[in-house]
Amino acid sequence: MSAAKRVQQWATFARTWHIFDCKWQDPYESANVIKKYLMGLHKPIYHPMNDCGDVVVCINSREIALRGDEWRKRAYFHHTGYPGGATWTLAWELHNKDPTMIIKKAVYRAMKGNLQRRHTMERLLIYPGETVPEDVLQNVTNQIRQTRLVPTRLDQIPEEVSKAYPKVMDYPEDYILK
Amino acid sequence: MAGLVRAGFSFARNAIFSTSVRSIATTNPLNLKEIRERTEGSSIVIEAVNVPSPRTELLVRAENLPNHEPAVSPSEKPPCYMCALGLDVKHTDVLILSQFVRSDGCMLPRRITGLCRRQQKKMGKLVTMAQKAGLMINLTPGNCKKDPKKRREHKKFNTYFDERTIFMKKIPKPVDRFKR
Ligand SMILES: [Zn+2]
Repeated sequence: MSAAKRVQQWATFARTWHIFDCKWQDPYESANVIKKYLMGLHKPIYHPMNDCGDVVVCINSREIALRGDEWRKRAYFHHTGYPGGATWTLAWELHNKDPTMIIKKAVYRAMKGNLQRRHTMERLLIYPGETVPEDVLQNVTNQIRQTRLVPTRLDQIPEEVSKAYPKVMDYPEDYILK
Repeated sequence: MAGLVRAGFSFARNAIFSTSVRSIATTNPLNLKEIRERTEGSSIVIEAVNVPSPRTELLVRAENLPNHEPAVSPSEKPPCYMCALGLDVKHTDVLILSQFVRSDGCMLPRRITGLCRRQQKKMGKLVTMAQKAGLMINLTPGNCKKDPKKRREHKKFNTYFDERTIFMKKIPKPVDRFKR
């Protein structure tokens, strides 16, 4: 094998490290995106028997956003195995206990249940904040695009920008400003 | 005689509904006003000052846009200004939604916004969504905890909303897909 072919072989089968910012992202939408990179579905050499999955580093998992009233409606079920050992934990309670658990469970559930799933999950690293260990961060070479736009708060917009923004509503003539 | 009776009735009506009928006013009623309060020595002076509207210059109307086509038949009622503009407003468009609220974050009534019923409902719901998501925390009542992270229980976490649910009669639950 020539030197160029050997390098091509390394580059094809090397694991790439991706980073994903979970800020204001729906975990169940982004799980379908993360899943593809974890399993290697984005590669043309993909095969279920081919160990070609990548590593995904999720940061800011504390800042995930759930839709509507899902924080208090979605329940996570657990059974200890003993009689009466069933518990239902609401999403906000689970997020209080462990801010990485929701995104982890979402990715786990997005994948098909087989013997490979546990090993694929080992390649998913989740951090609740922006602090990532240095030895993890120096491997990262790619960023996964977010699925939702991060909204801007009104108090983060400068006063002069919001003053000069085009208006659609004008007050009636006898309105008393408050 | 009939005129006298009618005058009597109108006088009684004016006495009862004096807030809606402003036949007598000491000041010019048709002007945007700002109430100012200041202290002069030991006395507090409260006055209403006529001010020009700060929004007139920046106002966007569909009829002023270059490629605007007016409604087909003049007999129909023209659409309200938001329907005519046809904007796809999301709950994250806080620069638009903040124009429909008071300084305490409360939605303005329809007689002030001048919207049609449907748009008023839509804007009110969008404002609620933006407030629940904590995107307009500087337009809140004084006793409000400004930072969304200081809220209680499930309210302190980030929430986003789907605008399609505004006019949905019945919002489907996740278990509904198992029903046949
Ligand atoms: Zn309308």
